[in-house]
Amino acid sequence: MACSHEYYKLMHEYLDENMPLTEAKKFEAHMQECPACEQHLKELKKTVAIVQSASHFEAPEGLTREVMNQLPKQNQSQKWQN
Amino acid sequence: MDAVVKRIVREVKRGNQEAFAELVELYKDKVYHIAYRMLGNAHEAQDVSQEAFLRAYTNIHSYDENRKFSTWIFRIATNLAIDRLRKKKPDFHLEDKVGGTENLDYYSQFASEEALPEEQVVKLEMQEWIQQEIMQLPPKYRSAVILKYLEDLSLKEISEILNLPVPTVKTRIHRGREALRKKLGDV
Repeated sequence: MACSHEYYKLMHEYLDENMPLTEAKKFEAHMQECPACEQHLKELKKTVAIVQSASHFEAPEGLTREVMNQLPKQNQSQKWQN
Repeated sequence: MDAVVKRIVREVKRGNQEAFAELVELYKDKVYHIAYRMLGNAHEAQDVSQEAFLRAYTNIHSYDENRKFSTWIFRIATNLAIDRLRKKKPDFHLEDKVGGTENLDYYSQFASEEALPEEQVVKLEMQEWIQQEIMQLPPKYRSAVILKYLEDLSLKEISEILNLPVPTVKTRIHRGREALRKKLGDV
């Protein structure tokens, strides 16, 4: 990236939505002037969108039963102690 | 939700083993998903998920009811996944055979039997590619990125799960994001 290290740090703060509004405005103004920073930010945003598009996997069928079968055996007196 | 979980946890603590099944039902998909994304392998993800729930059961008395159960179980699962990654060889390939199976390679974890329409093939390839790139991240960045972008958790929750200060979590997300940008950002 052609721009300074400072903007690189700010870019992540910006993406974390951690930036005070006035600072964010200043940052956005810089993005309009600096093609290198703008490109970098665009790529980061795209990366986040791609990662977020990853499917959610569901646990395999029978996982609950497997876990329950492996729990330590209880004897009668241990059950339902109050 | 929280009240329901509290009630179930109390039942389990009182010795009602059957009630634990309800906790597993509530969290199994998320736990499995985290494990899968960390390990990139269905077989190991299942193993780690089961182990996480077994440990949760055994240590249920040390669970602090004032904290979220999800934070606690995700922490157990993440730690187990990281332990496992430390023990195994540094990388693997999608063509590798899945441990304990005859002829199941990693592609078959994604693929289904029937022929897929073009659009779905593209989608599937995209999904494989995302997971491949996530697997290229060092585990410490990988866990932070997964919890942030796939589980949509706050920095504070992630910091509790990973037992790290918030600024460290932030740095790991930033670095993970940069590393992924180099692979995913210019398509």
